Amino acid sequence: MSTTTATIMASRNIEQQRSLGRRRKFVDKLVMYFCLTATVVGLFFLLSIMGTLLWRGLIALDLIVLTQEFQPTRYGDDSLPKGGLIHAIVGSLIQTSIATAIGTPIGLLVGTYLSEYAGKSKFGYAVRFISDILLSAPSVLIGLFIYQLVVLPQGGFSGFAGALALAIIVIPVVVRTTEDMLQLIPNTLREAVVALGAPKWKMITLVAWRAAISGIMTGILLAFARIMGETAPLLLTSFGNNILSTDLSRAMASLPVSIYQQANSGFPDLIDIAWSGALLVTLGVLFINIIARVALRKRA
Amino acid sequence: MNDHTQPVADAGPSMSGLQARSSAKLNSVARISVRNLDFVYAEGLPKALKGINLDIPDRQVTGMIGPSGCGKSTLLRVLNRMYSLYPGQKAMGEVMMDGRNLIDAGVDINELRSKIGMVFQKPTPFPMTIYENIAFGVRLHEKLSKSQMDQRVEWALSRAAIWGEVKDRLNTNAMGLSGGQQQRLCIARTIAVRPEVILFDEPTSALDPISTLKIEELIDELKQDFTIVIVTHNMQQAARCADQVAFFYLGELIEVSPAAEMFTAPKEQKTQEYITGRFG
Repeated sequence: MSTTTATIMASRNIEQQRSLGRRRKFVDKLVMYFCLTATVVGLFFLLSIMGTLLWRGLIALDLIVLTQEFQPTRYGDDSLPKGGLIHAIVGSLIQTSIATAIGTPIGLLVGTYLSEYAGKSKFGYAVRFISDILLSAPSVLIGLFIYQLVVLPQGGFSGFAGALALAIIVIPVVVRTTEDMLQLIPNTLREAVVALGAPKWKMITLVAWRAAISGIMTGILLAFARIMGETAPLLLTSFGNNILSTDLSRAMASLPVSIYQQANSGFPDLIDIAWSGALLVTLGVLFINIIARVALRKRA
Repeated sequence: MNDHTQPVADAGPSMSGLQARSSAKLNSVARISVRNLDFVYAEGLPKALKGINLDIPDRQVTGMIGPSGCGKSTLLRVLNRMYSLYPGQKAMGEVMMDGRNLIDAGVDINELRSKIGMVFQKPTPFPMTIYENIAFGVRLHEKLSKSQMDQRVEWALSRAAIWGEVKDRLNTNAMGLSGGQQQRLCIARTIAVRPEVILFDEPTSALDPISTLKIEELIDELKQDFTIVIVTHNMQQAARCADQVAFFYLGELIEVSPAAEMFTAPKEQKTQEYITGRFG
């Protein structure tokens, strides 16, 4: 042991230290600028999408779009009636509402099972894994699945099949948020409830759910927002419709499918209406996100 | 039964030193008798409690002390079967109360927990109003009319020395209370169920000194009607609150004595080393 504290201390190289210091400062700045540049690039695309959407969407957006059904293109002849999207708005609201109503209780109970009962069991892991796969599965697959399971046996497209496809998208979202939110609850809170002599189901329904409610509600709203914009599964299930229909056993219009169809039509007046539809969907999603955030903040 | 007549006023729950205030004799009536109790957290792990024998005297305060991991909290969680929440944890032996072995599989755990309440280290108010926090536990075991429930809530909050602070805001969320108030609310919630025994698991370790003092005074008050077991890391607290002190080390009960004896003339070498701060 020839290295004593004295020799170690004496070997401090001031010059080397300074150059290391300069390098440190440089890298420090560099990393910050990388982050800043990436942020600016991301923001640019986001704002340009929003800007285009607003600009193109407002061209055709008027009361007619909000109140009238589809009309064929006017070929620039303004004496022909202008079409609207009410059939799609109503269809979307019906299908997303039913989907949320079906998917939420299932998702809530599965999430509760995973958090409160499954623990580290193999079955729990399997359910969690499958749910996560479903969460990221291409939604067209879910459309195909319902097409095989419901549309073909029933002999036709239907709003109900559309709602079912969307419900399958809702379930894993609600499962994940429910489990995550319940996991955030400190275990001592559970023990405190049980220590009063409460059975487990009362602990879950009366206290745990209540403690996690804002997070779970947020998850449900986000799932709702997500299925509002889903197109692929609806193409294969509710197909779309040009007239206002509330009949769940028939084909039903929806905003994303109407946007898809009218934007593809090649007629400028219909394309403008499609832009309006896109704006409506985006505003709807934005609105729901704001509600979700406000709800979350209120509880926090 | 009248052991709490010793002069409390002169020593009080003093914050200084290791003076044990109780020199009175321990109550000879055991509310709970632990016999040859072993405990494991999981199959194959070493025993967390080894052959524990301990009598918990009726309507007195039993303090459990010892270094971290010595088994004192484990024993507390055996008494109300909290460990039963976790599959794999297992207690063997006898925990006798009213002629029943509490750790028998056939015991109705929910009924047992209504008789043996527990207050935790961190305050755990439920996400509901102050009133509902208290009523929650009562509703689990009794059907009361609105006026009876009002009475019970007031009684419990008064016994927990928090009624004056919350009586005008019973319908506000309990999360808005301070830490010390939350802890007294939790004590009120436990009392409201009218248990016979109350277990305190380091009830003041998350609180400031003033709140701690209030809780300690409260514990002293409550032992008139309840049998109390308190786990604490703080030896002064054990000296101030407890009538009987049990010292645990590595899963074994090293010594159990009246508080005055434990802190002035411990019988065991290990106890002396611990209470004089040589380890732990």
